[in-house]
Amino acid sequence: MPPTPLPTLLSSSELSYLHTSLSLSPPIRPDARSPTSFRPLVAETDLLPTANGSARLCFADGTEAIVGVKAEVERTGVVGKKVDLRDSGVEEDIEMGDGDDKTVGSGKVGGEDRWLEVTVDIPGQRDDDAMVVFLGQMIFEGLVADGEFRGRLVVNERWHWRVFVDILLLSAPLTYPLPLLSLTTHLALLSTHLPAPVAGLGKDDDPLFNDDWDAAFPLYPSAYSKSRAKASIARPPITLLVISVGDNIFFDPSHAELAVADAVIAVTIASSTSENRNDGELSLLAIRTIDPPSRLSSLAAEVGQAGEDGAWKPKKGGMSRSVLRKMVGMCVEKGGVGQEVLGGLEGFT
Amino acid sequence: MDRRRVNGPPGGTAPPVYLPPGRTAAAPGRTRGPNEIRKIFLKTGLTPSAAGSAYLELETPSINHSNSLLDRTPALKLTCTVHGPRPLPRSSPFSPRLLLSTRVKFAPFAARQRRGYIPDSGERDLAAHLETALRGILIGGRWPKSGVDVIVTVLEGEEDCPRDALATGNQNGRTGGWGMMSILSGCITVASAALTDAGIDCVDIVTGGIAAIVRQPAAPAQLVLDPCPPDHEEIIAACVIGYLQSRDEVTETWAKGNITALSDGKGTTKMGFDTLIDHAVEAAMAARRVLVEALKEGTEAKIQNSQAKPPGRAMGT
Repeated sequence: MPPTPLPTLLSSSELSYLHTSLSLSPPIRPDARSPTSFRPLVAETDLLPTANGSARLCFADGTEAIVGVKAEVERTGVVGKKVDLRDSGVEEDIEMGDGDDKTVGSGKVGGEDRWLEVTVDIPGQRDDDAMVVFLGQMIFEGLVADGEFRGRLVVNERWHWRVFVDILLLSAPLTYPLPLLSLTTHLALLSTHLPAPVAGLGKDDDPLFNDDWDAAFPLYPSAYSKSRAKASIARPPITLLVISVGDNIFFDPSHAELAVADAVIAVTIASSTSENRNDGELSLLAIRTIDPPSRLSSLAAEVGQAGEDGAWKPKKGGMSRSVLRKMVGMCVEKGGVGQEVLGGLEGFT
Repeated sequence: MDRRRVNGPPGGTAPPVYLPPGRTAAAPGRTRGPNEIRKIFLKTGLTPSAAGSAYLELETPSINHSNSLLDRTPALKLTCTVHGPRPLPRSSPFSPRLLLSTRVKFAPFAARQRRGYIPDSGERDLAAHLETALRGILIGGRWPKSGVDVIVTVLEGEEDCPRDALATGNQNGRTGGWGMMSILSGCITVASAALTDAGIDCVDIVTGGIAAIVRQPAAPAQLVLDPCPPDHEEIIAACVIGYLQSRDEVTETWAKGNITALSDGKGTTKMGFDTLIDHAVEAAMAARRVLVEALKEGTEAKIQNSQAKPPGRAMGT
C-alpha cells in the first residue's frame, strides 16, 4: 500500500546490469556518485509572505516541493491541565510521549501532539489516498517523536500555538518522495518565526503579541541566537531513505536504483539534545522498513526464469540484521551522512 | 448470486466460544521478568469459511478485583482470516504474481473508545506495516493472476494509558502510541499462522517481536521484551520486527522513540539500536516456538478431520 508502484521502464536485463554494478565492491552507481553522496539540490526559504515559515526544495531529478508553516493561537482545551512554564522544553532531557503530562516539576514537557498538524498534497492523488496518508504520518511521527517539539508550542497555561505544516509536492512523484518532503519540512520549520509575546505570559492572562515581525522569535532558535542564554541546538528531524543492494548501502537513491533495491528503510534522525551524550552521535528517532518497489513492479522475468546470470529477480525474504545495523550506523554515527546532511541544510537558512 | 462482487461465504459461521481467563492476584506493574514475554495462545483453523485463519490471544497479566474499568489491564485478542489465493477480477490488469492486500481493523468494541467501521489512518498504517512484513516471505510467482486478502480484526486491543486517555481526551490517535506497536507484533504472528493454514507457499514463517526501553520513576532505563504499555511509567523507545528465524532476516522494522540517546545511569553501557533489535529478535524467536506448535496442532487436527470424513462428502462440498 504505501510505496508508490513506480512504473519501471527498464527491461529485466537492464535491471540485472544495474543490480550487478551496484553490488560490486566498490559499487558503481549509474551517475558515478559515491554511495553516500547526495545529488545537488536547490533550496530557498521564507518565500511565502503569508506563512510563518516556508521553504522550497528542488532535487536534481526535477522533483520539487513547497512547504508552508502556519501558526495559530488556540485556547488549551482541558481546564486544570498544568503545563510546565518555567522552561518550555528546550533544554529538557529525553521525554517520550506515551501520554500527557499533567504534573508540574516532574521534569516533563507540556503540550500535546495534536497541536501539530501535517497535511501532504500530491497532485493527481486524492487526499485520502494511502500513500498521501502514509507520507503525512511518517513526517508527523518524526516531528513528534522526540516529544520535545510540543513543548515549544506552549504560550501559557491557557493558550498554545497550533502549527499547521502544509506540504505540497509540485512535481509528479518520480521517486519515493519521502526524503524530499522531509528535508523541505525541516527547512520550513527552521525558518518559522512566531510573533513574540509582549504580555500575558502569566497564569491566567490572555497573551498579547508584538506585531513587529522583526521581533518575532524563531521556533527553532539558531545556535548563535542571543535571545536564549542556553542556546539550544535542537533541530527538526530529517528522514533519510537508505537502500541496500547486496552488502552495499546507498543514500539518496535515484529512481533506477530504487527499482533494484533489496531493502529500503526510512531513518529519522535529529541532532542529539540530551546531556548524557557527548560523542556527537545523532539521535535516532524512528526507523521503518519500506517495501522495496521491485516486489511490486510487474517484472515478467519472475515467471519461469532463474539462475545467477539470467534475468534479475527481486530478492525474497528480508534483510539481514547486520546490513540493517550498518545502514542505521551510517546515518547516526559521528561524522556520518546524517551530520553531513544536517550541516548542509543549515547553510540554507 | 451477485456476479459483480466478491461474495461472502455461502454458509454461516459459528462464533468460537472461549473459556474465561483465570483469575490471578492483582499486581500493579510488570510482574514478568524483563526477558519474559507474555504467554501466547495461538490456534489455527477456527474460521471454517476462510481459506486460512488463526486466533491469537496474549495472556492478561493481572486482573484486579476492583470493579473500576480503569484498573482492568487490557488484553490483546486478534483474529486473522486469509481469503485466497483467488482469481483477480477480470477487469484488473495482468499480474505475474500473487497480489497481497492486508487490512487491519479494530472491532468497534476493541478499545475503550469506540472505533468506526471505516479504517482510520492508524489502522491503515498498521496494515501497511503488516503488508511489508508479509510480502517478503510470499513466493508470489506461483500464483499469477491471483490475489490474497489478509484481514486482521483486533477484538480487544491495548490502549496506551487508559487513565491519561480518559483524563485528557487525548488518544494520541495519529501516531498510534505504543499500544499499536504491540498490536503489530501480534498481527505479524497471527497473519503468518493464517497464511500457513491457508497453505500459501512462503520462504519461512515470520514472527513478530517487540522490545522496548522503559523507565520506571527513580530507576535507570531498562530493556524489556514484550512491553505492556500500562505497566510502565515511561516508554522511551520501542522496536517491532518481523523476523525469519531460519534465514536470520528481518522483513519489517518499526522503531520509534529516542533510541540512541541513552545510557543506563552509569554512563557505561549504551542501550542503542543494536541491543534493542537483538532483544526484539529474542521475542520473535520465542513467539516462533508457539507458532510452530500451533501449526503442528492445526495440521494434525486437519488430518484427523479429513480421515474422519467419508471421502464422498468431502468431494461434494
